[in-house]
Amino acid sequence: MASYHPNDELLMRFSAGMLSNALGVLVACHVERCPHCQEKTRIYEQFGGELIAESDDAELPADLLDKTLARLSDEAEPAPVKVSGNVPRPLQRFLPDDVSQIPWKGMSKAIKEFRLPFGDDEFDARLYKIAAGKQLPEHTHRGREFTLVLSGSFSDNAGAYHAGDFVLADTSVMHRPRAHAEQDCICFAVLDAPLKFTGWFGALVNPFMR
Amino acid sequence: MSTHFAVEPALEMLLIAIAQQRDQAAFRQLFNAVGGRLKGYAVKSGANDKDADELVQETMLLVWRKAHLYDPTQASALTWLFTLLRNKRVDLLRRNKHNLISADDLYLEPESAQSEHDAEPLQQEIESDRNQHIVRNLLQHLPTEQRIILYKVYFEGKSHSEISDELALPLGTVKSRLRLALSKFEVLARQHFLWLLIIQMTNY
Ligand SMILES: [Zn+2]
Repeated sequence: MASYHPNDELLMRFSAGMLSNALGVLVACHVERCPHCQEKTRIYEQFGGELIAESDDAELPADLLDKTLARLSDEAEPAPVKVSGNVPRPLQRFLPDDVSQIPWKGMSKAIKEFRLPFGDDEFDARLYKIAAGKQLPEHTHRGREFTLVLSGSFSDNAGAYHAGDFVLADTSVMHRPRAHAEQDCICFAVLDAPLKFTGWFGALVNPFMR
Repeated sequence: MSTHFAVEPALEMLLIAIAQQRDQAAFRQLFNAVGGRLKGYAVKSGANDKDADELVQETMLLVWRKAHLYDPTQASALTWLFTLLRNKRVDLLRRNKHNLISADDLYLEPESAQSEHDAEPLQQEIESDRNQHIVRNLLQHLPTEQRIILYKVYFEGKSHSEISDELALPLGTVKSRLRLALSKFEVLARQHFLWLLIIQMTNY
């Protein structure tokens, strides 16, 4: 089970359906595989149920019930498909079934990226792959960067992160992440959108730091 | 508020009647019992009158299609309705954007659902009923300052730092108030699990 989780604020906004697109997907990918956060989510959903209980009884158009009845059909929703494979369900439709087929774009030998098409006004979404045993140059972050380890693991001076771990880095974090030697580390990251070229890659893009 | 309490076990029974008998009369009853409050919630979370009506209608259509997936041991009727409304709202908000994520991707359906409804209905009713009762109690006893922060998260999607700007409170204060509110939830949830364990053990 994961050792690092989204904080209560994120889990609550997620449960309330209030996270922006990219960050919502990231939190969903963690929760899907984290019983601890599923339990919290369930409590926050109960809380939502309670907010409905105490909501004002707003007036509905007189014909809304009849219009709704007229649209009832016989088909019932199929039962949910069980999640399988290594790719979290929210990401499945954006990635090949075989993750070795992901068309990575190389920035350097140590790190490659794959941009995900569901960014929003607030955040950009992408996958990173840090090659096994490679260490990235020391860098900080110009904005927030939320990371979920999908496979493999990496360490920095603050700790070691394994598949399922949810990590938040921001301007206060200065680190040199290193992928563990056994396998490449694939991470799903969501970062502040206006800072596209100055996030994790800042150090790599800046020629003086090569 | 406490007047709603007596109504709730009936909501679960209505959902089960809809699932098992495709009972339109039960559907009408449910619609009349919760439609207005679903709209009230939708309006509080920023929908205009027309969108709120649409959200109520779409949520109730989803109730009809998904009633067989409702599991009273997992959630009270109101909590389940909340998740349907939340998901529909997410989908309607994203309807005009081509970024493809749907609420079904984000929120997992519990896998244990369906067809076990008739196992031990009384016990299940007690469980989900008690569950919601605990949360209700807790909410009612939450100090106003903690409630306001929770409302801002649910209805406005505000983050801690946005809330601290808006209420002109230090960020640390917002965080500690939310933490206080949540820690009460967790303590109660734990007590509740203990209680469930006792019910289950005495049944053997
Ligand atoms: Zn977790």
